[in-house]
Amino acid sequence: MAVNGAETAEKIKSLIYKTCLYQDDCEWKNWLDLCSEDFNYYIRAYSPEIQKDMEYMGGPKEYMESITGQLRKHNIDDSPLKRHGVVYRVDVSDDNKLATAVTSLTVFQTLLGGNSSHVDSGTTGIFLVGRYNDKFVIDGDDVKFIEREVRLDTRRLDKGTHWPI
Amino acid sequence: MSARNHEQWNAQPILQSGEWVDSKIYSDEEIFEEELEKIWKQMWIPVCHESELKNAYDFRTMTIAREPVIVVRGKDMKVRAFLNVCPHRGNMIERRPSGSFAKSTPSGTPKTMTCMFHAWQFDMKGKCVNITRKEEGYQDRLCESDVGLRELKSEVYFGGFIWVSLNDNINQTVEEFAAGALDSLAPSVNEEPLEVFHYHKAIIDCNYKLWHDTNCEFYHDYLHYHNRITGFNDEYFARKNTGFKGGHVNVGSFEVQYENYEGFHSREELSFPHLPANQWYMIDMFPGVNFNLRGSALRSDIMTPLGPNKVMIEFRGLGLASDSPKDRKIRIDHHNSIWGPFGRNLCEDLIAVTGQGAAMQSGSESRQILHGRHENETIHDENGMRHYYEEWGRWVGRSPSYPDQPFVEPAETA
Repeated sequence: MAVNGAETAEKIKSLIYKTCLYQDDCEWKNWLDLCSEDFNYYIRAYSPEIQKDMEYMGGPKEYMESITGQLRKHNIDDSPLKRHGVVYRVDVSDDNKLATAVTSLTVFQTLLGGNSSHVDSGTTGIFLVGRYNDKFVIDGDDVKFIEREVRLDTRRLDKGTHWPI
Repeated sequence: MSARNHEQWNAQPILQSGEWVDSKIYSDEEIFEEELEKIWKQMWIPVCHESELKNAYDFRTMTIAREPVIVVRGKDMKVRAFLNVCPHRGNMIERRPSGSFAKSTPSGTPKTMTCMFHAWQFDMKGKCVNITRKEEGYQDRLCESDVGLRELKSEVYFGGFIWVSLNDNINQTVEEFAAGALDSLAPSVNEEPLEVFHYHKAIIDCNYKLWHDTNCEFYHDYLHYHNRITGFNDEYFARKNTGFKGGHVNVGSFEVQYENYEGFHSREELSFPHLPANQWYMIDMFPGVNFNLRGSALRSDIMTPLGPNKVMIEFRGLGLASDSPKDRKIRIDHHNSIWGPFGRNLCEDLIAVTGQGAAMQSGSESRQILHGRHENETIHDENGMRHYYEEWGRWVGRSPSYPDQPFVEPAETA
């Protein structure tokens, strides 16, 4: 890690936590503003059932902007998701231009509509577990996401969600 | 009359018998148990795809009507199915969802199915090949040939899907069982080998038939913003809904206008063989299997009923085994954008049917669920569901509209 790498690493941790807050609040534009124009997003999982690495969602920044921009037109499950991330590791390149980070992730869902809102609303359960595998580009003081891979352990996703994780 | 009181709410609908079902068929424990015995244990059920067992000694495990099943590929490359139950003490032989018997396990040697409990071993044809300490324990009273596995009927059919039946006496091939319902897509899925690229599962609180209904009727496209703006034209409303013998239904095709949804594109460049650009077919097989081809990606829904108000649905996505990595990536994106667990449509369907499940729980008052739309057997006609429930009535022996009464053939009621 470069001399100033520790400072950059702290900045990266802060950036990752900021994405959790923005996404929890469905502030998709604010989330994507933290990403470079070359950003790519993926949700992936390995399936022991079919013994294959799978991609459940993926696309460049423009695509993510497009689909999040149309969410209001969809019938979504609006039970809030809360992302609990713990940044386990940040690695900054020696030239301080690139970085990677690994974040342990648990996403909780608090039912709103649920199966029966009278009974279920307010109930919190684990929606999924996995990791964020993030890549960053660094330009002086400016740090932006260039790639986020959400690597899921969970493959039983029941109703799923329209929202990026 | 506007809102109705209890008596009015429970009165017989104006529609004809057969144009509604009693919601008891979605919630009653006794009916559910009958369905497992009279339907699910009698039918051909596709359990996985041959690409999930590519090599000799590969296996997949699953259940049909609570019975543990294992599918293995033998040294002769033939796929066989067995009850995944050791004949010794009834333990499940293999616990993993998939894998290979080519290598040894902690209790057993390679190339055998070994029950971890007492290390009884079986070959890929289900023959018992080793009983540990046989002579000491059984002397000459029992030997390997007495304790083979229970083999199940199996076939590979329709683009490489592996079909299994618990019924030894089933007197139809899968082709005969399908009765032509699969023919519309057969050229597209049989031209070259397919490969599964996507798997995920949902376990949701609703009856399995409600998920099947949702795949049978497209009137619910009002639920889907994507489908409204990429469809809902004259060609869409002319799509035919065709019933086949055995309760199967085929929803005909039309050209989807994907580019009408911002960020989406035509699927023409990767159409399945013999499929015109951007076509979309749906085949609903009795009692709870769906094949859905949208131009470049095939989806299968295989249901495992878990209770009157609980079903597991396994979702698979398939492409061509010959896909280049670039083409596969595009095909996966096409599949996921609509049908993935984070896609535009699938979660909407699942939200809707769990709402039905919540309103029809066991013990709730019976409701009349209407299947009475007639639109010349086109896309918003509900003839597909009527056709399905007629077959359901035959197998269960109950009237779908009056489930406490015996099923009577419609012609006999005229």
